[in-house]
Amino acid sequence: MDLTPRTSGDASATAQTMKPRRRWLPMVIVAVAIVAGGVVVTRFLTSAIDYYCNVDEIGVRSGCDEGRRIRVQGVVVEGSLAKSDGATTFKLSFHDKTVAVRYEGDPGGVFQECIPVVAHGRLQGGLFASDRIEVKHSNEYVEKNDTRIEESDKEAAACSVQEG
Amino acid sequence: MPGTSTPTGTRATRMLGVVTLAFTVWLVVFGLVVSAEDVVQGSTVRMMYVHVPSIWVAYVAFALTAVVSAVYLSGKNRSLAWDRVAGASAEIGVLFVAISLITGSLWGRLTWGTYWVWDARLTSTAFLFITYIGYLAVRGLGGSFRQRARRSAVLALLAVLEIPLVHFSVVIWRSLHQESTVANSGTDVELDGLMLFTLFLGIVTFTMLFAWMVLHRQRALALQDAVDSHGLDLAIKQRQQEAEVR
Amino acid sequence: MEHASFIIGSYVLTFGSIGLYVAWFLRRSRSIDKFLDDKDKPWT
Repeated sequence: MDLTPRTSGDASATAQTMKPRRRWLPMVIVAVAIVAGGVVVTRFLTSAIDYYCNVDEIGVRSGCDEGRRIRVQGVVVEGSLAKSDGATTFKLSFHDKTVAVRYEGDPGGVFQECIPVVAHGRLQGGLFASDRIEVKHSNEYVEKNDTRIEESDKEAAACSVQEG
Repeated sequence: MPGTSTPTGTRATRMLGVVTLAFTVWLVVFGLVVSAEDVVQGSTVRMMYVHVPSIWVAYVAFALTAVVSAVYLSGKNRSLAWDRVAGASAEIGVLFVAISLITGSLWGRLTWGTYWVWDARLTSTAFLFITYIGYLAVRGLGGSFRQRARRSAVLALLAVLEIPLVHFSVVIWRSLHQESTVANSGTDVELDGLMLFTLFLGIVTFTMLFAWMVLHRQRALALQDAVDSHGLDLAIKQRQQEAEVR
Repeated sequence: MEHASFIIGSYVLTFGSIGLYVAWFLRRSRSIDKFLDDKDKPWT
């Protein structure tokens, strides 16, 4: 009995019910998935070279040295935020240690005082020069009592939320 | 069932479908209108009610894939139905990881100020997504149904190990992503009443949606398998007739 | 609502993609259903 695979031409009886499956497509996807997985892991590992440091760890924890490119995490100090000439300056504090940060531009997101942020950059001469700021939102959600909330009350509420 | 417009539907799935649809409408109304805004995030907190339930469903889906794969491999019940549930569940899981990644990325743009950052939670979720794309591709590589079932079951049991890695990545590595809000033991609840309720509603709704989708999808895969095996039967019959003639 | 496009967009994307996926495989099942008998559908 002839068991060799047929080309689609003489398998007219089966053509109605069964389309020839393209086996190469899954193979390509598997290959792409393996490559993509490698790329993702590599990106993560190279990105982790920017050490993640809390403000109080700068110059203390190994890898968080001055002059090195790091990511600093801390809370924006109330009353320290200032914007001039397109640059944003503020103080970042964590565990009673504070560092001055200068960012060229306007940070996006919900950037404001009293919230935890992560600043990417380098500490040079006591000033942390940052080229990227991310807002680290805490996992606390508080309902806004919509009407009649004054702007200052909102700020204070945000501060007490983050520090409380 | 005669008179059924969808061949994969039964009375049970139709009832589940109607209830799920009602819950979905309820969730959308609560998520977009009724629930309050967050003090810091404002209205962007509304993204949470689709983002968190999506990744929840993805976890459930991949866990189900692993469980039914283990049942198949254990040898007690070698029904190919287990394999089809595994495939259906993984496929739906991939869809929900994609939804979670995209809504999370949009949410990140609004709160963090960036669409994407290569940190632990986001990277590991992307890796999970790619792994299960690979799993689905491996299911399509061909061979007999049994080969497909065994091969993909082994892969499913390996791939599910990534889930604890993703979930605890925010604890293991320092991350921009917040830690779990609800599935977090030992801390007090940090969600205000209506927000917590809406999130809970989202998780219930998405879980029902998932159940409805898996039921339909695994039956759809059964139809596909039946067509494929009938096609093979026809081909074999044809060859036998030809052999007799010779 | 601030950022309405992002927020409503993510809801539309979520339920829209689920709807498209379901519609895709239900249509496919319907199209192959005519080749099959009830014995291929043990759930009926």
